Amino acid sequence: MGLGRSAAVVIGSFPIGESDLVVSFYSREHGKIRGVAKAARRARSRFGGALELFTLGELVFFDTGRSDLLRIDHFDIVRPFGGLREDLEALGQAAWIVECVTRLTADHDRHVALYALLVRSLRALETADRPVHVAVCFGVRCLEVLGHRPRLDVCGGCGRAYPFARPALGAGGVLCERCAREAGDATPISPGGVAALERLRATSWEEALASPLGRLEGELAALLEAHMSGLIGQPTRTGRFVREVRRLSPAPGGRP
Amino acid sequence: MAYYPEPVARLIEALQRLPGVGPKTAQRMTFFLLKRPVEEVRELAESLVAVKERIVYCGTCFNVTDQDPCRLCADPARDARVLCVVEEPNDLLAMERTGEFRGRYHVLLGALSPLDGIGPDDLKVRELLLRLEQGETAEVILATNPNVEGEATALYLAKLLRPLGLRVTRIARGLPVGGDLEYADQVTLSKALEGRREIG
Repeated sequence: MGLGRSAAVVIGSFPIGESDLVVSFYSREHGKIRGVAKAARRARSRFGGALELFTLGELVFFDTGRSDLLRIDHFDIVRPFGGLREDLEALGQAAWIVECVTRLTADHDRHVALYALLVRSLRALETADRPVHVAVCFGVRCLEVLGHRPRLDVCGGCGRAYPFARPALGAGGVLCERCAREAGDATPISPGGVAALERLRATSWEEALASPLGRLEGELAALLEAHMSGLIGQPTRTGRFVREVRRLSPAPGGRP
Repeated sequence: MAYYPEPVARLIEALQRLPGVGPKTAQRMTFFLLKRPVEEVRELAESLVAVKERIVYCGTCFNVTDQDPCRLCADPARDARVLCVVEEPNDLLAMERTGEFRGRYHVLLGALSPLDGIGPDDLKVRELLLRLEQGETAEVILATNPNVEGEATALYLAKLLRPLGLRVTRIARGLPVGGDLEYADQVTLSKALEGRREIG
């Protein structure tokens, strides 16, 4: 209860009442939090453009203790990530990243590593030639940070040591052909894909971003989409957006 | 709500479905209506039904109207060479209030929103392209909101319309009239600087 402050990223908002806005943040100190920004939709609002999606800023809020919703006092922009709004592919991938963070975390569950990963990923997306590559690097690390790291050394069903022929990726990790058939919802993965997943999570963030994936980029993006959708319990909303927008200018090797 | 008579409970329940109305507000509205003369309440009820029965989307611009095509599309005095694209009928009304624009409109009935899963197929984009194919339009003004969703929509439409050889423009973004530089955030100020114009 009382006044709180934290660095935070805007991860969503919706209008409420005449001119107010309910804004969701992923904050460094408090994890996912939501608050009401009074009169934020007015043309001359004191928040200006600060509460736009993806904006990183310094949040000052008041917790009355009577509601799940905080009262947003100030949000001073640190970095607006304006570049994301100038490229539809980058915007789609940033939205996918934000959706994963939003739907895989609980309110007030502090997770500094995930916060840092989110900020790093948005920063990388702003200048990325291949936004989907950044999303893949984020996806691999996000699973790790949230404790959903897939096992890649043995079959998650029978414990048989990898490598084996025709591997698939299931909820807990790589599966052999027989276990994948029994699991039913596992996605086939190439041996190159397994190696790339292992490499991306073992190297530093900068090395992962610089590491070319070639044709594996599309495969990993699709696998991560399926994996995230499985964890969320339904297909991601942003996946559909990316597919529709990509019809205009198809990017090879992207999320299908 | 067993302690309310059935019609009162039903009205409270119905009012709660309106945007921004919670149980307390719905209750206050219901008791306000109970105190009003029956003619006034009947007028309200009839207006609600009339809106649903008589209002349709214009088959040309998708504005809300009681005649198809709407008055704006049917008006021969309006300049068919300039088409202003807006997100919602409310935005069209805001543009009309300026009295500055004498062209025609196209209402998309939404904006691209990746987090809500709203893509181009959910908007009146195909209908816009069909209108433009008729060849009357020389300029398309993209007047979507200056937020992430509106910018994404404008960006998408600009890419889509570029090959058609039309003049595609975007409404200016920046400081509001009567605003104060000191209180403007960096995004708004940088947009205002980007869109600066020569004076004098």
